[in-house]
Amino acid sequence: MGQIILGVGDYGASNRPGEEVKTFALGSCVSVVLLDPKTRTVGMVHVALPESTINKAKSVEKPGYFADTGIPALLSEMAKFGCNPKGKGMVVKLCGGANVMDTNDTFQIGKRNALSIKKVLWKYGMGAVAEDLGGNFSRTVSVSVDTGEITLSSPGRPNWKL
Amino acid sequence: MTTKIDQDEIRKVIESVPMLSASATQLLQTTTDPDHDLIEIVRIVKTDATLTARVLKVVNSAAFGLINEITSLDRAISYLGERLIVGIAIGDCASQLFNKELKGYEGEHGDLWRHDLRTAIASREVVTQSNSTISPDLAFTAGLLHDIGKALISDYLHGTASAVLEKIENEEISDYLSAEEELIGFDHTRAVHELALVWKLPEAITEVIRFHHAPSEARDEFKELVYAVHLGDNIAMMGGCGTGADSMRYKLDNNYCQFMDLQPAALANVMLAVNDDFNKLERSFAEAGESN
Repeated sequence: MGQIILGVGDYGASNRPGEEVKTFALGSCVSVVLLDPKTRTVGMVHVALPESTINKAKSVEKPGYFADTGIPALLSEMAKFGCNPKGKGMVVKLCGGANVMDTNDTFQIGKRNALSIKKVLWKYGMGAVAEDLGGNFSRTVSVSVDTGEITLSSPGRPNWKL
Repeated sequence: MTTKIDQDEIRKVIESVPMLSASATQLLQTTTDPDHDLIEIVRIVKTDATLTARVLKVVNSAAFGLINEITSLDRAISYLGERLIVGIAIGDCASQLFNKELKGYEGEHGDLWRHDLRTAIASREVVTQSNSTISPDLAFTAGLLHDIGKALISDYLHGTASAVLEKIENEEISDYLSAEEELIGFDHTRAVHELALVWKLPEAITEVIRFHHAPSEARDEFKELVYAVHLGDNIAMMGGCGTGADSMRYKLDNNYCQFMDLQPAALANVMLAVNDDFNKLERSFAEAGESN
């Protein structure tokens, strides 16, 4: 089975039957998964930080790093597969955004990532139909192009679906 | 069922692991002395042919993308910086420990090395971007060694991970460190005394290994360094680089604010820099055969 593996700040899409789009070990990072039922395309971006204002140069080099530049970049990528460039008709799922224990505001990057992503999605009129966010554990996420189903795994836990 | 272990048992485990080479020990001791000079580093590396070859391999690896090959050791050391030289020396001697599959934590082969390398880079970035007085080189070395105790106790924790996670989620145990103590009577920071003796570790490094999850208990003179690695460790886990089931299952001590000024924007920049540098270093070490 073919796999598209995405690293931190990467985004990608596939409409190839049998393929899966995967990212490893999301800690405080969030994976935004977009499913387009019309074109049967699956897209994912591995967002590391909430806002690109902290490093504009980086957001040009790797827009997927930040929530505010990563989602538009993923939508542009999916438009190449015939999807609506504004995300119309797409299904959204979110995973990741964990935090370390007893953390203070500064270190709640997982929570801030999730909030920032939801704000950006809201601007497009999109909202998540399913989410697996927060907690104190890392997640590996893979999405099947055939079914749009997400399989999550984390060391010490049985796999689960979203 | 787990068995309780004690200092004698840990001593036996340590006796079965490789010693640090004379050059690695000397490098650790020299670089933790604030008054040392780069010339001393060059002198130590020159006495060790294997290390010299490794240093030249790393500097000339594709990850660094140098146009002209560096053949002089002096140039290689000044290009890589002393922290990488220490990293290469330790990584080489202790690769058996760093690359141990942490079955007790359900970690994979190479997870410990990746976590330690990422913590090393993150600890260095924390002191650099928070205007700390701690030497970035020292923070890097301490970060590299902070979790070595996990390789020593992992086998005794075999098969416990899912039960530990359940207990933490049900708030029966406060964090993974307490779980180690409860299960085997020994947590991964406590093996340090024996290891420090055998490896002749400098005091600053010993203190980091012992207190990186309880930085407020470190001796005053080392507190700032211990807090830096405490944050580096958490940042590495937040970046998805843990050692298995225990990842993100430790408490963050918010009193770091007394020692360093790390605002949200600075932390975001630390995380960006860590990711970029980690990818580069991991590749260069792998190409030079350090982490295999």
